[in-house]
Amino acid sequence: MSDFYQTGVITTLHQLGKTSLERIEAELCDFARTRPIALALPALYSEFEGPAMPGIVQELAKVKYLNEIVLVLDKASEAEFQRAREFMSPISTEVRIIHNDGKRISAIYETFARNGFSVGERGKGRSAWIAYGYVLARARSGVIALHDCDIVTYSREMLARLCYPVANPNLDYAFCKGYYSRISSKMNGRVTRLLVTPMIRALQQLIGPHAFLAFLDSFRYPLSGEFSMITELARVNRIPWDWGLEVGSLAEVHRNYSPRRVCQVDIAANYEHKHQVLSADDASKGLMKMTVDICKSIFRTLASEGVVFSDGLFKSLLVSYLRQAEDTIMKYEADAAINGLRFDRNEEATAVEAFTRAIAMAAQAFEENPMATPLIPNWNRVSSAIPGIFDMLKLAVDEDNK
Amino acid sequence: MMDFLNLIFEPLQAVFQTFRVFLPNFLAMLVIMLLGILVAWLIKFIVVKSLHAVHFDSWSDRMGFTALIRKGDVWSRPSAMLGSITFWFLIILTLMIGLGALKIPAIDSLVEQVVGYMPRAFSAAVILIVGYVVAGFVSQGVLIAAVNSGYHYAKLIAGALRILLMVLILAMAMEQLQIAPSIVLAAFSIIFGGIVAALSISFGVGGIEAARRMIERETAEKPDAGKAKDEIDPL
Repeated sequence: MSDFYQTGVITTLHQLGKTSLERIEAELCDFARTRPIALALPALYSEFEGPAMPGIVQELAKVKYLNEIVLVLDKASEAEFQRAREFMSPISTEVRIIHNDGKRISAIYETFARNGFSVGERGKGRSAWIAYGYVLARARSGVIALHDCDIVTYSREMLARLCYPVANPNLDYAFCKGYYSRISSKMNGRVTRLLVTPMIRALQQLIGPHAFLAFLDSFRYPLSGEFSMITELARVNRIPWDWGLEVGSLAEVHRNYSPRRVCQVDIAANYEHKHQVLSADDASKGLMKMTVDICKSIFRTLASEGVVFSDGLFKSLLVSYLRQAEDTIMKYEADAAINGLRFDRNEEATAVEAFTRAIAMAAQAFEENPMATPLIPNWNRVSSAIPGIFDMLKLAVDEDNK
Repeated sequence: MMDFLNLIFEPLQAVFQTFRVFLPNFLAMLVIMLLGILVAWLIKFIVVKSLHAVHFDSWSDRMGFTALIRKGDVWSRPSAMLGSITFWFLIILTLMIGLGALKIPAIDSLVEQVVGYMPRAFSAAVILIVGYVVAGFVSQGVLIAAVNSGYHYAKLIAGALRILLMVLILAMAMEQLQIAPSIVLAAFSIIFGGIVAALSISFGVGGIEAARRMIERETAEKPDAGKAKDEIDPL
């Protein structure tokens, strides 16, 4: 059972005792009449061949309160697109698949490019962004929920708890992030445990109290890929297309909404998905790439809010981070011990060393080009420049799904 | 025996003679077609490059032309589409000229008809394109004006106006193409006249009370009529 402590500047919605899924789903059916809910699913075709997707489809087939499901399919041929459609057919909710490699959606991406909009490289960020665009184009949903398609431990309770805070009109939250613990026989979630939280605290130590750092530090799992939000937020938020997606999205939420309208919800007792390799020697892939992108995103956000990054500050940050991370390792070692989890201290220390190098790389990249931004423009700007874009996107997806 | 052989060879000679006359014409047609395809390809290339140079595709995106062609399930670039239209137009033109070189009366007459129809097709296309842009512009203007004036049905009014204008433009284009002109004219008159009559009736019947109030207000005797004005005006 969870505690009921409220952390930081945002609201934390705990899982207290055994809650009734039937009650939550019944209430969601009620809320969905005034706030219809869309579910966005960014997926690779390879995930349809993995262990997670069959379970997700099986669970989604039982969900009654969703208004629409928008699945963005990446790296799929025409035949694979058709197979994905068949795969999703047991779901009674209307499912629309955006075929990223299809000729119509490719023409849409080409339209963005020739009008000067950089929508970045393919990945979760771009897929989430195009899914928001389609939901906005249809104008049939007031809430968008999003989760990954590689969750092995998926249950429909996860989705219900994720949607509830934003769908409930009495609570008036604009954005809700899911959180959970990441344990198997050992503790997972290294990037959050050993990089993000220690680095945020090191930055707070160096630059003093800062609204964005306090906001970020309030999240129990800032890198979780599951969230729900009001549709309006999808219209005004810019999305990073790189690995800084989660942190960058939180920065945009912080910029556009008061923390009083932001919450986090305990969606699962445990969460298991595809693990990334550390790739300590190669910063262009694996967790190292993710780490560099996350650090750059945090540096850019802080710089845009007036924080001055000097060479000295970056040097102190490395030392301060290392101290914070070492202390964190000790805390998690104790936590693992009391819970009977395997804990490889050397492995954790190796990860911290790699993360320290990644911070240095991110700092160097930031100093070389502080203006480089991987943010995809928001839909308000895109629709202002290309007035017919929503019609085109809707037409492309609807034709593909005929 | 000779007579019999003549009976066989005379038709063959006639065919051979016809073929001798026809062959140069046929070769001329082939050369014209070959040159025509080459020129059409070259002009298509120039058209597409020129349209790229003036950022025609971005302009089309902004003006809603791209959205229009997407509705016809055309997903190529607008410039590429115009290039293809130019290419096929020139190919048809080449085919007509080439067939003309054969000097066959039936084909000559067909070619004459097709060539005579081309200006009409061209002006119908211009009417459609210009009309679409104007309809979009007018409907956008009405939408902005109606929204600023606080009308609840601004989008509906703008949409209805756009449809009306498109019906008008379509009728003009079809009239230009001479496709059943009497039917088009009658259908257009019925539809447009019907809409105007419906609007007149609805405004007329719905506005009886308002009109009565206005007339009564105008004709009613003013309470202070005939009274001398105070010398001191409180205002």
